Amino acid sequence: MTSAFEMERLAMRESRDKVMTARQAVERFLHDGDCLALGGFVTNRRPYAMVHEIIRQGKKDLYVEGGSSGGDVDMLIGAGRVKAIMVAYIANSGYTQVLRCFRRAVEQGRILFDDYSIDTQTIAYHGAALGLPYVAVKNTLGSDLSAKWGMSREERLRHPKLTPEKFLFQENPFHPGERLCLIPTPRIDVAFIHVQTASPDGTCRLIGPEFQDVDIAMAATRTVVSCEELVSNDEIRRRPEQNSITGLCVDAVVHLPWGAHPSQCYAQYDYDPGYYREYDQASRSDEGFAAFAEKYVFSHPDHDSYLDALGVSRLAKLRVEPCYGYVPGLKRK
Amino acid sequence: MNAKQMMAVAIARHIENHKTYIIGTGLPLIGATLAKNTHAPDTNLIFETALFEGSPQEVPTSVSDLRNCYHASVLWPQYRYFGFQALSMRSGAIDCGFLGGAQIDPYGNLNATSIGDYWKPETRFTGSGGANGIATHCDTIIVMKHEKRRFCEKVDYVTSPGWLDGKDGRAKAGLPPDKGPRAVVTELGVLRFDEGRRMYLAEVFPGATVQEIQENTGFELDVSHAVEAEVPSEAVLSILRDKVDPLRLMI
Repeated sequence: MTSAFEMERLAMRESRDKVMTARQAVERFLHDGDCLALGGFVTNRRPYAMVHEIIRQGKKDLYVEGGSSGGDVDMLIGAGRVKAIMVAYIANSGYTQVLRCFRRAVEQGRILFDDYSIDTQTIAYHGAALGLPYVAVKNTLGSDLSAKWGMSREERLRHPKLTPEKFLFQENPFHPGERLCLIPTPRIDVAFIHVQTASPDGTCRLIGPEFQDVDIAMAATRTVVSCEELVSNDEIRRRPEQNSITGLCVDAVVHLPWGAHPSQCYAQYDYDPGYYREYDQASRSDEGFAAFAEKYVFSHPDHDSYLDALGVSRLAKLRVEPCYGYVPGLKRK
Repeated sequence: MNAKQMMAVAIARHIENHKTYIIGTGLPLIGATLAKNTHAPDTNLIFETALFEGSPQEVPTSVSDLRNCYHASVLWPQYRYFGFQALSMRSGAIDCGFLGGAQIDPYGNLNATSIGDYWKPETRFTGSGGANGIATHCDTIIVMKHEKRRFCEKVDYVTSPGWLDGKDGRAKAGLPPDKGPRAVVTELGVLRFDEGRRMYLAEVFPGATVQEIQENTGFELDVSHAVEAEVPSEAVLSILRDKVDPLRLMI
């Protein structure tokens, strides 16, 4: 039996118009207890505007496939929404080398975590996008990534979203004598990615560094795309060679200009050093974080309100110079 | 010349023209950029974000920084980078990668994850990043602060395997046996690994002494091969200060 939700979702995937608001996309497609993956890489093209909406709506008990997380994931942790994080890296590089809500949550035992490396997660997400059950690699051998599990087998058995074993070890059946680490591919419920251009049917044009975005968008059961620019289905199909994700992998399209602010967005804008410096200071305590979240998330009903508060002149200064692809001479310290 | 500038020069000396290096941000990038501006103009820099062979004109703050895209050859999806890295064991395409950490032991095993009990740490760091995969498949050069608490007999967590417990350690674990740490660069000198894969002192930087290095190392260190490092020329230092990092973001 297909549930009413699943029927609606399948109908939506076939739709030629998946455009909706951030509020609608989070309400419909993200549920408490989901396994979540977010696009981008530390300070580049992180889907901040959608994460703000997740925090506003109070979605909780999330299992986060961390990859190379940035301040967006740290804010989810600070807001108390993350049950477990599969972490390889979590930094606002250049500003905060170890994000502080994550660090406090681990040091104070407030969060479940397990350690991976970017290589194993990237390969596992790619495996998930190919429909593979697990990947076999040499990575992690001889290290504590494989010897010490952040979550024990007993703990993992309490969480249907996790496999009972973090890794298994096996001899290569084709080349005896070679030792391998088997890593299960994650079953991602929802992916949020931010792209430069999308059309109502969900076709995406993602330019510049891709990171793991196409893989998590394919691998997730539900994918929400936010975009800088929304163009017609006909317009985006004039140049299919420039498109990287079919709408058949996408459930919702949300038009959110500057939706990756304060992180970078290729061919659009540079990172916002003022924001990152402020977050570095604010996130030093729970109280500081709460005030920051109030100022940048809770006090705004939506992304428009957030952008209005930042102001046009602040954002205009972050527009990349086309011949460089960033803002030359941007004051970063 | 300050200590970080000498470290950048020492890193640059490990970089050869026409070869390919995996670069993180911070001092390794500064050292590699210095090499490109001096003796190794055709060196290729690659980042674990799959941004290949760029020529950053301003210091990037992250491996994902758009500044790394300048004059790059390809901006690949990330999984291709990790394939390229694993295949380099066969192809020889990568000379070595640069790593850092909070703790290191005599065999070059690195901790970048946490201090104290892993499950209830005194201090939690960000974790492996791409370091574990680099340490698995490639030769490495490690850049560390030289402090007794960091150079310790046993690290609290092995994030990136070095030579594990000696000459046969990597083979026993199933790792490529002939890849591993080549050198450790600190603000006091350069350390290398002997036949038994144990760290020894190779070079002492200007202003530092063997005694100072011993006092800041938490394990027994063979210093019998130590020599004084070559003092960098004013020409090299001025390229470093005026061209590579004029804003002094890293040095």
